[in-house]
Amino acid sequence: MNNEPHQSPRNILPDCIIPALALAFTVYYLTTITEVPWISQASAIVVSGLLLLSILAFVIRSIWRIRRHQETLQITAIFRDLSAYRAINLKRLALLLLTIAYVWLIDSFGFTLTTFVFVFSGIVLLSTLANWKNALIVSLSCSVIGYIVFIYFFKTRFPEGPIEHWLKGIL
Amino acid sequence: MGPDLSVFLGLIADTLGYWWVIIPATILGIVVGAIPGFSAANTIIILLPITLTMEPATGMIFMVSLYTSSRLGAGIPAILVNIPGTAGAAATPLDGYPMAVAGRGQQALAISFTSSVAAGLITTVAAIILIPWLSQVAFHLHSVEMIVVMLFGISLIATISAEDKIKGLIAGFFGLMIGYIGADVVYEAPRGSFGFLELYDKVPLIPALVGLFAISEAFVVIERSSILSKQGEIDQKQAGWGPTFEGIRETLVHWKEVIWTSLLGLVIGVIPGAGAAIASFVAYQQSRLMSKTPELYGTGHVPGLIAPESANNGVTSGTLIPLLIIGVPGGATAAIMAVVLEYHGVNFGPDLFDTQPMIAYGSFTAMLVTYVLLGLMILPLTRYFSHVMVVPTVYMAPILIAFTLVGSFVPRAYIFDMGVAIVFGIIGYIARRTGYHVAAILIGVILGPLLENYFLRALRISQGDLGVLFSSTIGNILWVLLLLSLVAPGMKRYFALSRVNRKKTGSD
Repeated sequence: MNNEPHQSPRNILPDCIIPALALAFTVYYLTTITEVPWISQASAIVVSGLLLLSILAFVIRSIWRIRRHQETLQITAIFRDLSAYRAINLKRLALLLLTIAYVWLIDSFGFTLTTFVFVFSGIVLLSTLANWKNALIVSLSCSVIGYIVFIYFFKTRFPEGPIEHWLKGIL
Repeated sequence: MGPDLSVFLGLIADTLGYWWVIIPATILGIVVGAIPGFSAANTIIILLPITLTMEPATGMIFMVSLYTSSRLGAGIPAILVNIPGTAGAAATPLDGYPMAVAGRGQQALAISFTSSVAAGLITTVAAIILIPWLSQVAFHLHSVEMIVVMLFGISLIATISAEDKIKGLIAGFFGLMIGYIGADVVYEAPRGSFGFLELYDKVPLIPALVGLFAISEAFVVIERSSILSKQGEIDQKQAGWGPTFEGIRETLVHWKEVIWTSLLGLVIGVIPGAGAAIASFVAYQQSRLMSKTPELYGTGHVPGLIAPESANNGVTSGTLIPLLIIGVPGGATAAIMAVVLEYHGVNFGPDLFDTQPMIAYGSFTAMLVTYVLLGLMILPLTRYFSHVMVVPTVYMAPILIAFTLVGSFVPRAYIFDMGVAIVFGIIGYIARRTGYHVAAILIGVILGPLLENYFLRALRISQGDLGVLFSSTIGNILWVLLLLSLVAPGMKRYFALSRVNRKKTGSD
């Protein structure tokens, strides 16, 4: 996205994502407060009004800058940027999917096992498979230290799975 | 109220006799403060079976030491990896992290620790001396006054968005809207919760913090081999003890900043429900406002680190005052302390200072001893803590994600909250990449619900009359101060420009 300095007009399409998200959420939010007492609406209506004004100011400024050729709106430029940094963006996407999988699986497999697999896979993903020995040591240390400190000593409410249940039985 | 010097020194000596409680509590506090999700409140709850079996004074000293040191510990990840350990440290990375990236992490830690310890000592002594007056503060600050105090904190959104005000405002108002998710405090009407029961009780703060700071940071840093800049890596390798002493010296040079921001934290801490987050945001905003070099804030400027760290440690002693005097806890940790003391049959009120001085004054002397101990223990560790930054990002990113995600699970034990952290992580990543300040979003998420609660209470009391916002003398004074603080930077710039123009005209 904004990874490199631009001499030519700056593509501001990525900059529109946050205002678009904010606008969509605000519209949704306002639809959920139509039937609540006005006192419950008041604060949100004031803030949503201010948010919409800020977005309007952003739009007006962008139009003004586009007309002066300082900024541009190009969807193709996004793909160009993404492909220019293809390797790191693929790694980032894979790490995100790995993170989602971590959250998905931790409830069934527990903290210790899931953290070991996640940290090991994450390190291998971000470096190379040749780094598997270091990845193994680090991920094993993380899950074992995490278990000893947080689950065994502090009795913290971490997600539990087969390893935690097994260790609970023998310790 | 107020002990004479000999009694006070006797209490200090008695407190020192509890070293066997204070030292482990201090170490534990630093650790739990440094991990997002593991606040002092959570830890005291986990350790309740132990605390409840202790003598009341021992239990109180244990809890106070843990609470005090956790406040200081929260600044460590905020500076080194841009992840505040608690919401109270959310303003710390604004200047702490840029210092760390530039290879001045050790110095930044020394500044953070020195200002925290100094602020803690100053405000604890001030609290002991001023208890009769400070206990009145909460009586004079009602919903209306608190609305203005919240707005002081929220105005920081505009301050930290100096590079692009419009983007800063969008981020801040977006955060406020997210903060309004959930049931309101008066009518319990669920709003904007996407049908998730887990969001009825507002957006959970720790997952939001973890997502916006930790997850998004992890996705950004994987582009580089190290968090440090190239020069930073060189400086870090060559660093000896010099940066620690330099950090201590820099803090002492800014002693006025330490004093006034810590006292600001003390006063805000006395107000039930206000807390360290609002204190640190207000202190940062006011520090920048009064600075002769406001443009340096956000770039690794020393007063920008001192202000929030001093203020959030000033809050610590403040929260105990309403608890001990009127039995109303100033925050979540103080509420748990109240539960423990009530279990032991301790009656709160001014009499407590005469009947059980080891609990009443002992809480403050325990703070003093803890802060002295913290200073001695933690400053030598700055050199070693800062080595965290040389860990390659290929190891750092997965570890950060795993532990902070689990940290976001801990407060409520919902897997849902880990999902919330990922959603905020994606929002935070997009925001960072496109020039929106994640701190502005977080300020909104933290202060939005607080602002709305006070606003709803004020309207409820006045039966819907908006005139209530301008109905109190203290409130009106605060409104004027808020207005002045908003227009002052513009006025300063205008007068400076006029002076330059006049000089130019004169020389022509």
